[in-house]
Amino acid sequence: MQVRIWSVDVHGDPADRVRQLPPARSGGPDGLETVLAAVARGDHAAFRALYDRVSPAVLGTALRVVRDPAQSEEVMQEVLLEVWRTAARFDPAAGSASAWIMTVAHRRAVDRVRSEQRASERELRAAKASIAYDEVTDAVETSLEQQRVRRCLAGLTELQRESVALAYYGGYSYREVAQLLGVAVGTVKTRMRDGLIRLRDCLGVE
Amino acid sequence: MMRRSGGIGQHTLVGAYVMDAVPDSDRAGFERHMLGCEQCREDARGLREAAARLAQAAAVTPRPELRDETLRAAAGIRQLPPVVPGETGDDAARRLRLAVRRLVRPAGPRPWLARMAMATVVVLAVTATVLGLHLTSMQSRLTAAQRRDNAIAAVVGARDATTMTARVSTGGMATVVMSRRERSLVFVARGLARLPASQAYELWLMSPAGPRPAGMLAPGQHGMSGPVVVGHLAAGDQLGLTVEPAAGAARPTSAPIVLVALDR
Repeated sequence: MQVRIWSVDVHGDPADRVRQLPPARSGGPDGLETVLAAVARGDHAAFRALYDRVSPAVLGTALRVVRDPAQSEEVMQEVLLEVWRTAARFDPAAGSASAWIMTVAHRRAVDRVRSEQRASERELRAAKASIAYDEVTDAVETSLEQQRVRRCLAGLTELQRESVALAYYGGYSYREVAQLLGVAVGTVKTRMRDGLIRLRDCLGVE
Repeated sequence: MMRRSGGIGQHTLVGAYVMDAVPDSDRAGFERHMLGCEQCREDARGLREAAARLAQAAAVTPRPELRDETLRAAAGIRQLPPVVPGETGDDAARRLRLAVRRLVRPAGPRPWLARMAMATVVVLAVTATVLGLHLTSMQSRLTAAQRRDNAIAAVVGARDATTMTARVSTGGMATVVMSRRERSLVFVARGLARLPASQAYELWLMSPAGPRPAGMLAPGQHGMSGPVVVGHLAAGDQLGLTVEPAAGAARPTSAPIVLVALDR
């Protein structure tokens, strides 16, 4: 089946949509961890900096999962405010600040979709038809980070890549992914894990 | 805590788990499995970093207006205090058990009250233990229910948590676990009289300045109602429970069927 991973079909001028993210991993003086620690102390300037750093990835994730731009913007704002509210609860030992924030973001986006879905039974087949792999039809300017992730995704097997993309960008559960791909549930679970492991190793995530 | 794990089968779920692709029905089971599986927690940590990169690769610049809106909204939101290091769900549960033993030991003439209090506490202790997990490695996913669980853990896990019970005049028992430090309490009740669908129990903070609504009490399972977390306690507050129209009331329309003095 076909899964479009790289085209971004959103509102606005394509050139405005994508910006490069600084590598947000270190805990050094410019690290997101440092910014987050200042946010936890109620520093509004730090929160502004944090917003600039993470809101594009949060919005992008929400758009992939939720699709509707207005709802995705709401999700983005909710996530940022949640981060503001709970910044003091961030535990550096449990992972990077970026991973923490993106986990909140993805969860929030998925919750939004699932509650919608319960309300109006989303048609899986329609979604399946609407996504097509790697058709970069819009002139989307890709960032270095995107290129890196894309290169690493290309190193996965097709089934691993599709499983990861449908789960992460599609917001589907592993059971739904299994149904969409017509493979056993156990196979999908394994492919998701192995795909992410390969991605982790390729990206050099510690 | 490795029970019901299903070993390898559970373990492979870690990829789906960090991508929020585990349905709610399976998630609790997997999280239980992770409690006893160091390797799973370590895997989840690394894979979550990888998943975060997928998010970054999807970055899209938000409309500029959203920035000011969000920053302005943040100014009106109170931030949570940090979790005190070393304060895990286990500690909270242990402290709670001790507090309850103190409460329960001299029970003598009213053993049923002791049993009731213990049952309540077991429920709270389980919540607190489960929460230890959320507060540490899995603090990231905060649904409304989890936020409430966090609030419960903050109260029952507080150093100064005290437990009070009181008889409800129309039947049943109310239990309050309060932390003055957190300025919050957790309220649960057991065996309350059933109400017609048009009515519901409502909690109030009653002070000399007048009553403040403190939440509706949802009927729970096994005769248990709540828990309800009540925050922003002030000196001189009493906690009251009244019967109100199902939608709730802005001020109590009937006399409290239980009133707990919180300053003692």
